[in-house]
Amino acid sequence: MSHPHDHVTEQLSEYLDGELPVSARESVDAHLSGCAECRRLIEDLGSIVAAATTLPDTLPDRDLWAGVAQRIGATRATVTPFTPPVRRRFSFSVLQLAAAGILLMLMSGGLVYLARPHDDRGASGVTRAEPSAAAGDALTVSVANAQYDGAVADLERRLKAGRGELDPETVRVLEQNLGAIDTAIEQCRRALEADPANAYLTNHLVSARQRKIALLRRATALTTGS
Amino acid sequence: MRTALTLLQVDTPLTARPATDRMDDVALAAAGDVRAFERLYRAHLPRVHGLVRRMTAGRDADELTQDVFVRLWQKLSSFRGESAFSTWLHRLAANVVIERFRTDTTRRQRHVDGEGIFESLPGARSSGDLAMDLETALEKLPDGAREIFVLHDVEGYKHQEIADLLEISAGTSKAQLHRARMILRRHLRPASA
Ligand SMILES: [Zn+2]
Repeated sequence: MSHPHDHVTEQLSEYLDGELPVSARESVDAHLSGCAECRRLIEDLGSIVAAATTLPDTLPDRDLWAGVAQRIGATRATVTPFTPPVRRRFSFSVLQLAAAGILLMLMSGGLVYLARPHDDRGASGVTRAEPSAAAGDALTVSVANAQYDGAVADLERRLKAGRGELDPETVRVLEQNLGAIDTAIEQCRRALEADPANAYLTNHLVSARQRKIALLRRATALTTGS
Repeated sequence: MRTALTLLQVDTPLTARPATDRMDDVALAAAGDVRAFERLYRAHLPRVHGLVRRMTAGRDADELTQDVFVRLWQKLSSFRGESAFSTWLHRLAANVVIERFRTDTTRRQRHVDGEGIFESLPGARSSGDLAMDLETALEKLPDGAREIFVLHDVEGYKHQEIADLLEISAGTSKAQLHRARMILRRHLRPASA
C-alpha cells in the first residue's frame, strides 16, 4: 500500500531522525522510491539538520562580566580595575580609548564568531561558498599581507618605544589581549592552509587582523598622548 | 573607565568549546570564589551566549545571558555532578530563556503571529553558505518553532527532554520541529518549496 504524498511529507522529519516505527518507515521508503519531490524534500531537510550542527558559538559584542559581577554582589576589587595613566598629559586617553573601541566594534561586525574545528564543517556536507568567490577573498588577503605586516611592525615599534609610559596593569591587559588575538590569527592561518577556499575563515582572519591593528593603535595613542 | 576596560577585553582566541569542565573552579565558585566564577563565565560564555541568542533571535540576548550567569551563581551549590557541568549549565540557560518567553506577553503574541510575519518576508539573498543563511532564517522563525529547532537540531536535546523543559508533549515537540524545518526550507530554498 502506497501512502499519499501529503501524509508522507508530514513524516519526513521523524523518518530523517530515525524515529518512525519499522512499518511506517517501510511505507515512506516505498513512497520515496516513486516520488522525486519527497526525495528532494528529504535531501533539503537533511542539509538543514546537518548545517544546524555546525553553527558556531558566539560572543556578545560587549563584555557582560561587569554587569554579572555587580549583580552577584562581587566586591569592586574582584572586577579588575582599569587604571589609566596618572600623568596629566594623558587626560584624554580614556576618551580616545572609547572612540577607538567603538570603531573596533564596528569593524569586528558586532558578533565575534568562534569557529569549531573546521573538520566539523567538512564532514557535514554543508554547501560552501563558490570556490571562485572564495579564491578572490584569499587573494585580497594575501595582497593585504604586506601592508598589514608593515602597519603592525610600525605600531609595535612605536609601542615598544613608549611602553615605559604605560601603567603596568594596562600593559598586562594589553599583552593578554594581543596574545589572544595572535592566537586567533595563528589558528585561522593554519586552518586556512588546510582549507584555502574557506570564505568564513578568511573573513575571520581579516577581522582578527583588524582587531589587532585597532588595539595597537589604541595602545600607541596612550603612549604618545596624541 | 569601566567601559574602556570592557572594550579592551572583548577579544577571545578562536577556540573550540572547553573540552573538559574545570571541576575545581566549579567547586571554588560554589564556595563563593568570584575569581573562579569569572573563569567559569569566560569558559562557558560562548556556548551559553550562542544558545541564548539563537533561542531568542537576538532580542535581549545580552541581558538574558547575564541572567543565566546570575542564576548560575545562585544555584551552583545545588550542582551535584550527576551530569556534566556544561550539560547542567545549558539546561539552566534554556530554562532562563523559556521562563522569559512565558512571562513576556509581547513574545507570547509573536508565538501566535510569528509564522504569518515570516511568510510575508521576501526570501533572503543567499550568501552561498548554508550555515550562515540558516542563522539569518532562524531569526525569522516563530518563537515556539525556533526554541524547539535550536534545542533539538542545534543543541542535540531529545524530544522527551524538550517536552519536559517546555511542559508540552513529545508529540507536540516533534510536530513543531517538523514545522520549523519546513519553514526554514521555504526560506532557504524558495524555488523548491
Ligand atoms: Zn511525495
